[in-house]
Amino acid sequence: MKKITIIFSVLIILTMVLTACGKTAGEKTVLNVWSFTNEIQTMAIAFEKTHPDVDVVYTMIPMTNGEYQTKLMATLGTDQVPDVIALEAAFVKQYVESDFLADLKSLNADVKKADVYPFVTEVGTFDGVLKGLSYQATPGALFYRRSLAKAYFGTDDPVEMQKILGDMDKYLAAAAVVKEKSAGDTFMVASNGDFMNLFYANRANPWIVDGTLTVDPMVNKLIETAKAFRDNGYEAKATQWQEGWFAGMNDSLVGADGKPKQIFSYFLPTWGLPYVLAPHAASADGTKTTAGDWAMITGPLPYQWGGTWLGVMKDSKNLKLAKEFIRFCTLDETNLTNWATGVYTNAYLKAIDPNTPEGQAQAAGDFVGSKVVVNKITAGFDNSELSKFLGGQNSYGAFALAAPSVNARLMQGSDDAIQRAFNDPLASYLDGNITLDVMWQTWKDAVHNEFPELKIP
Amino acid sequence: MIKSRLNKNNYGYIFIAPFIIGFMIFGLYPVLNTLWLSFTNTTLMTSHAKFIWFDNFKALFADEMFIKAMKNTWLLWLLNFIPQLGMAMLVSVWFTSTRLRIKGVGIWRVIFYLPNLMMAAVVAALFFSLFSYYGPVNQLLVRAGIIPEAIDYIRDRTVMRALVVFIQWWLWFGQTIIILMAAMTSISVSVYEAALVDGANGWQMFRFITLPLIKPVMIYVLVTSLVGGMQMFDIPYLLTDGRGSPANAILTNNILMYMKFRSNQGHIGAASSVGMMVFVMTSFVALLIFYLLRDKDAAKASKKVNGGKDNA
Amino acid sequence: MHNYRLNTNLTRAFIYLFLAILVVITVTPIWMLVVNATRSTTEIQNGVSLIPSTHMLENYRVLLSKGLNLPRGFLNSLQISVLTTIVTVYFSMLTAYGIVAYEFKGKKIMYNGILVLVMIPMQLSIIGFFRFMSKIGLDDSYASLILPSMASAASVFFSKQYLESIYLQDLIDAGRIDGCGELGIFHKIMMPIAAPGAFTLGIFAFVGSWNNFFNAYILITSRNKYTLPMLIQTLRGDVYRPEYGAIYFGLAASVVPIIIIYFLFSRYIVNGISMGAVKE
Repeated sequence: MKKITIIFSVLIILTMVLTACGKTAGEKTVLNVWSFTNEIQTMAIAFEKTHPDVDVVYTMIPMTNGEYQTKLMATLGTDQVPDVIALEAAFVKQYVESDFLADLKSLNADVKKADVYPFVTEVGTFDGVLKGLSYQATPGALFYRRSLAKAYFGTDDPVEMQKILGDMDKYLAAAAVVKEKSAGDTFMVASNGDFMNLFYANRANPWIVDGTLTVDPMVNKLIETAKAFRDNGYEAKATQWQEGWFAGMNDSLVGADGKPKQIFSYFLPTWGLPYVLAPHAASADGTKTTAGDWAMITGPLPYQWGGTWLGVMKDSKNLKLAKEFIRFCTLDETNLTNWATGVYTNAYLKAIDPNTPEGQAQAAGDFVGSKVVVNKITAGFDNSELSKFLGGQNSYGAFALAAPSVNARLMQGSDDAIQRAFNDPLASYLDGNITLDVMWQTWKDAVHNEFPELKIP
Repeated sequence: MIKSRLNKNNYGYIFIAPFIIGFMIFGLYPVLNTLWLSFTNTTLMTSHAKFIWFDNFKALFADEMFIKAMKNTWLLWLLNFIPQLGMAMLVSVWFTSTRLRIKGVGIWRVIFYLPNLMMAAVVAALFFSLFSYYGPVNQLLVRAGIIPEAIDYIRDRTVMRALVVFIQWWLWFGQTIIILMAAMTSISVSVYEAALVDGANGWQMFRFITLPLIKPVMIYVLVTSLVGGMQMFDIPYLLTDGRGSPANAILTNNILMYMKFRSNQGHIGAASSVGMMVFVMTSFVALLIFYLLRDKDAAKASKKVNGGKDNA
Repeated sequence: MHNYRLNTNLTRAFIYLFLAILVVITVTPIWMLVVNATRSTTEIQNGVSLIPSTHMLENYRVLLSKGLNLPRGFLNSLQISVLTTIVTVYFSMLTAYGIVAYEFKGKKIMYNGILVLVMIPMQLSIIGFFRFMSKIGLDDSYASLILPSMASAASVFFSKQYLESIYLQDLIDAGRIDGCGELGIFHKIMMPIAAPGAFTLGIFAFVGSWNNFFNAYILITSRNKYTLPMLIQTLRGDVYRPEYGAIYFGLAASVVPIIIIYFLFSRYIVNGISMGAVKE
C-alpha cells in the first residue's frame, strides 16, 4: 500500500513538474512588438530564424493622428501592454523620460562592443539610465548640385565645398554668391525649414533648465539667419514636404510668374537620400532628371533628423526575451550587417515565414548605428545606385564622416513641442505681418499653453 | 378608463429601457470619466494624479488662448452654418416642390451627399495642396494677372478662415439637405392642397406650413450643427500645423483640447476641463434654442387638427 | 396662366443652372481624390491635378504587396457597420417612440438627460473607455464598437424630432382599436411610416461607423479584425516614405461601398407622401 502511494505521488509530482516547466514542441513564447511602420517586421522575421521557439506577433498602428500613442497609453496597466515598442524621433524622448520603459543596462556591454554612435544612445538615455536603442543612426547632411557648384564656386569637390560651407556664417555668405551669380534665379535652399534643425541641434543649453524656459543664443541666431535668408531672397519660400520643395529637386520649380527656378542645396538625413531626393530627382513627366548631379557634405553644422528607437515596456511579462529582441535588432553585428547590405530580401524572409507580405524586404543602404558595422561595410557601397546618384560619391562613407560629431545630450522630451511652436510665429514674422517682439511673445504664449507649469521669463 | 390610460403610458418605460441599460453599461463610464478628469491634474506620461477642484477651470479663464479659441469656434460655426442652412433649405424646398417638379432629385441629392463620405484628412490635404505657395491656385491667379505675385495663403488669416468655413460647408450641406427633405416629404400633400385652395402662394405655404411642421427636425439640425460646430476639429487641425495657425486664427476649442491632450505630458486633466467648458457652453445655447423655438404653437395646431394626444 | 408657366420655367432653368454649379463645386475635390488614385506617389507629392494618370495598376500592386487582407478588412467593416446601423436605428427609434407616444413620470428628465448627453465631447474618454472594456473582457472585440450604439443620444434626438413631426394620434388609436399590442403598433404601424427617417438615420450611422478608424484602432488589436479603413491607414505608417499612390487608391476603394449602400438606401427615402397617407 505504502509503495503504491509513493509511486503514485512521485508520478503526480513528476507530471506537475513536467507540465509546469514544459513547452511542448508546438508551443512558442509570444513576443508582442508594436510599431508604426513595417520596417521592423523584417527584423522580427529574422529574429524568428535565430530564435525558432519564439513567435513574434507584430502589430502595426499608424501614428499619423496619434492612434499609436493613444493606444499605448490606453493599454498601460492592463494586460494588453506590448513587450517591445518602436518610438519615433518626435516622441522618443518623451517616453524615455517617463516611467514606462525598462532599464536596458544589461545591454551596456553589447553597446560598447558594437561601438554605437554616441548620439543614438544619448537620445535613449535619461538621468543616466539607458532605456532606448536604435538599429539606425540618422545623421544629417547637406546635398548640393554639382553643376551649380561648379558654376558658382568653381568646384564641385566635396572636400572643397565643406571648406566653403563649413559654418553658418560661411553658408550665409555663400547664399549671397549664389544669388548674385544666378541673377536671383537660383535659391540657396528651398525652405527655411531645411536649416532650422541645424540651429536647434547645436545649442549649448537645453530648452528647460530647472523648470525654466531657456532661450539659447543659437535660437536667436536662427531667427536672424531666417530673416536674412527671407529678406535677401536666398530661400524659395517653399514649405517642406509640399510641392515646391519637391519640385526643386528635379528642376521643375517654377515661380508664380512662370520663370523656372533652381535650388542649390537641400538638408536631408540618411533616409532623405533614398526616400526623398532620389525618387524626386526625376521630374514628374519623366523628361529630366538631376540624378548624378548631386554630392553631399557634412555641412555647416552637424545634426540628426528622425530615426526609430526600440524600448521595452516595464510591465512586459517577457522582459528577458524583449531585451534580447532589442539586442538582436540594434546591437547584433550579423543582423545589422544583413540589414544594411540588403541580405533581407523578400525571398530570404519568406523562407523563414511563408506569410511574409510581398513587399516586405529591406533594401541595402540604411545607415546603422554601430560604428563597427559601418566601418566594415562602407567600402561595399562604392558602386551602389546611390553612389551613382551622387556622381560617384560613396554616401555611406559620407554619412560615416558626419555621424560622430552629432550630439543629442541636450535633447529633452519637450523639445519637439517647443520648437514646433516657433513655426507659425516665425513664418508670420518673416512675412512681415508681426514684429519680432510680438513673435517672441506669441511663441511664449504657445509654449505656456502646452506647458502650464513651465516658468517663462 | 383612467386605469387603462395609465397602463398604456407605462409602456413608455419598456420602450426606453434598452437605451437606459445600454447607456449604463457603455455610456456612463466615459461621461463620468471625462467629468472626473476635468477636476484633476492627471497626465498621461506620469502615473500620479491629484484632485485639484476648479484649478483647471480657473487656469482656462485666465488663458488668452482659451478665449481666442472660443471666439474662433463661434465665428467659424456661424459663418459656416448660416449659409449652409439657408442653401440646404432652399434646395430642399426646390426638390420637394410639386409645382416645380425638378427632375433627377435622387441623383442630385446623391451627388451633394458625396462630400460627407470623404475623410476630413483627405479633403484637407487636397485643399492644402491647392493653396500652397507653389500650388495651382497661385499659379493660376498670377498668370491670369489677377494678383501681382503669389500669396502665402497659409499665412493669411482671412483666407484660412474662409477655407475652413468653405470646407465645412462643403462637407455637410448634403447631409442637411437629406435631413430636411426627410422631414419635408413627411408632410402630407393634402395640407398643401388645402392651402392652395385657400389661395396661399409659395412663400406663404413655406412660412406657415412647411417651416412649422418641420420645426422639430429644424431644431435637430440647429442643435447638432451647434454641437458639431463647437467641437470643430478635423479641418482646422489638418489644414494647419495642428495649432490653428496662422496666429491662431483658426484655433478652435477642440484643437485646444487636443493640444493639451497630446502635449508632451499628456495633460488629459486640463484637456477634459476644456471639454467640460465646451459642454457647458453648448448646453446653454442649446437650451436657448429649445426655449425660443418651443412648441407652443404646434401643440395648439396639432390639437386642432389631430384631436390631440389626450383623447385616448 | 401663360405668365405662370413662363415664370415656373424660368425659375426651373435658373434652378438647374444653380444646381449644376453646385455639382461642379461638390465633385471637383472628389474627382481630385479619384485622380490621385491613378497617379504615382511622386506625382502626387508634386501637386494636385485634374487629369488622371496611368499608375492605377501599380498603386493597386503596391497596396497588395503590403500584406493587407483587403477582402477580410472589407468584410469586417461590413459586419461592424451593418450591425451598428441596425442597432442604432432600431434602438433609437424604439426609445424615441417611447418618448413621443407616452406620458410617464420622469419622462422629461429622462429625455433632457439624453439631450445633454449629445453635447458632451467624448473624444477624450476613449482611453478610459478602453480600459473599462478591458476590465469587462470586451477588449479587441467588435462588441465594444457595436453595442455602445444602443445608447446613441444623437440618434435618439433625431428619431424623436422626426417621429414627433410625423406622429398621427389617429393612426395609433386605430391600431389600438384593432387590438395591436403596444409593441405591435410600433413595429407594424409606426416603423413603416417612419421609413424615410429610419433610412436617413441608417445612412448616417453606416457612414459614421464605416469611416471611424481612430476609435477602432484603440479598441481593436488583432490584425485580422482590422476594418478596411484601418488597413488603408496603416499605409500612412511608412513615415518617411508614404506610398501616397497606394493610399489614395485604398481611400477611393473604401468609399465605393458606402456609395453603393447610399444608393440602395436612398430609394426608401423617396417621398414619404405615399407612405404617410391617412384618410382624414
